[in-house]
Amino acid sequence: MPMLDIRNVSKFFGGLAANSDVSFSVEQGAIVGLIGPNGAGKTTLFNCITGYYPPSKGDVVFKGVRLNGLQPDQVCRLGMVRTWQKVRPLAKMTVLDNVMVGALVRTSSLKTARAVAHEQLQIVRMDHRTDMLAGGLPIGERKKLEIARALATKPELLLLDEVMGGLNTGEKEEIILLILELKRRGFTQVVIEHDMKAIMRISDRIVVLNSGEKLTEGAPREVADNPDVIAAYLGERVGV
Amino acid sequence: MTALPRMQPRGASILPILLFFVAALALFLFPSFVKKPYVLHMGVMLFLAIIQGQAWNVIGGYAGQYSVGHAAYFGVGAYVTMMLLEVNKIPPWWGIWAAIAASLILSAIIGSITFRLRGPYFVLASISVAEIIRLAALYFKDFTRGAEGFLLSEIPTLHVFGTEIVFIGKRPFYYTGFAIALVTIGANWAVQHSKLGYYFQAIREDQDAAHSLGINLTLYKNVALAISAAFTAFAGGFYAMYVKFIDPNAAFELRLSVEIVLIAIIGGIGTIVGPVIGAMVLVPMSEILRNPRGLVQIGVLAPDSRVVDFIEKHLANAHPLFYGILLVIVILFAPEGVLGVVRRIAARWRRRAPGETGAPASA
Repeated sequence: MPMLDIRNVSKFFGGLAANSDVSFSVEQGAIVGLIGPNGAGKTTLFNCITGYYPPSKGDVVFKGVRLNGLQPDQVCRLGMVRTWQKVRPLAKMTVLDNVMVGALVRTSSLKTARAVAHEQLQIVRMDHRTDMLAGGLPIGERKKLEIARALATKPELLLLDEVMGGLNTGEKEEIILLILELKRRGFTQVVIEHDMKAIMRISDRIVVLNSGEKLTEGAPREVADNPDVIAAYLGERVGV
Repeated sequence: MTALPRMQPRGASILPILLFFVAALALFLFPSFVKKPYVLHMGVMLFLAIIQGQAWNVIGGYAGQYSVGHAAYFGVGAYVTMMLLEVNKIPPWWGIWAAIAASLILSAIIGSITFRLRGPYFVLASISVAEIIRLAALYFKDFTRGAEGFLLSEIPTLHVFGTEIVFIGKRPFYYTGFAIALVTIGANWAVQHSKLGYYFQAIREDQDAAHSLGINLTLYKNVALAISAAFTAFAGGFYAMYVKFIDPNAAFELRLSVEIVLIAIIGGIGTIVGPVIGAMVLVPMSEILRNPRGLVQIGVLAPDSRVVDFIEKHLANAHPLFYGILLVIVILFAPEGVLGVVRRIAARWRRRAPGETGAPASA
């Protein structure tokens, strides 16, 4: 049984089909890359999966449980958590408090939550920022805070929405290593990313969306060589 | 190079706690030295404002839901306590619990209606619900006596641990108000230092982020409102017993809802000290405008003082105007309240202090 099974998911906004009939599955421990041009429906799909809005058609099945109609907080408690493309730090709270909020979904003890939060901040190498207000962080660290906070909820499946967007080469490299490290630690991940080199490097499989539909799916090499993908999204062959 | 804001290190400072206990002790001993009714009255009103401000702080300051309809809970607290005493002869120290229970039920109903809305729509909904209750209290005369209101005949004598407490004069109310204010501050502190406090603040900072991190928004907003409503009703019951007369306009008025918000905003929302400071600014101001003769009583002004004359003639009902001016000033120049200004000055002063290297933290 796959950890996450997207079955014929469609999402309509009025007459507009943001997703139509998208299906793919994510095996435990894998990294699935989700790519596609702007407006392809990647973030909409994340919103459907995590309960921000119910799919108009189709099912989202996580660990054998059908999620349709569940709220984001319930989805989180089941062990699936997402980060936000447009980062959402809890600005007037400290970095540590931000991560503690995530940890508190599994405990009511502030002491336990604090310990969990410290661990996550070490994983993303932000333990020197503990007492800083989250609103004052530079973008690279805001992205890492998103990940740390998500990790604190003790998920099995992480949905990362463009965690490398707007970062410089060094910061991107750090995130790539972090995603690979999380894979080693046993997390399953679905990663939306625009940086083709990065997504080729980390993904076990890649799903390509275009205009709300699934264009193709396969191993990174296959996808990169697929003429449809090249036409729709890449524009030219990528040398990896 | 960006200078990054830093928070105070956690839990290390004893000074605020020490200050709190010194202030509490001073306020406890105060009536033994100062017996002037006007001063004690000011104290009672101050405690009342602190309770209201702290109560609002839970929903508005921590959870970030700006309710401008807290008169509803205040009025219910006042009416239930008063009616149980006048109609059913139930003493207020029992009646108040029924009042709090009523406010909890009301908060669950209001919460289920208004929390579907966000931002300004929530504010407007909270105002309208409170106004509906005020109009209902005016209309259902058979039950509420309408505009005629309730006049308190007598509070029975309270027997605790063999001592008799007679609720005559200002002193017993001073101590009751003091005790409730301490409990409210304690409750606020407990909320701030618990999972609830973290969840409320997360909701304030970003509802969608909070939702994705496993926070049940509806549940926690309603919990915040319930805590807030309970203490506001407590304040309402206390107020009714103290002023001894309530009618729908005094107990449910919109002005009251605005005052409650102002206490927290002027002091600094989302902090424990904020509502205390707000109360210390607002209460003396409104009391002096309402009754400048009090200043004569305590000897600040001469009996024939022109100031008293001027206030009585021209500013007798001007305190809402002053609230408005104060609010504009705070929003323009001190959006984080008096406390924010104090912190900013303190930070500047600390930076200038000798012995510092002067190099700010850099990213």
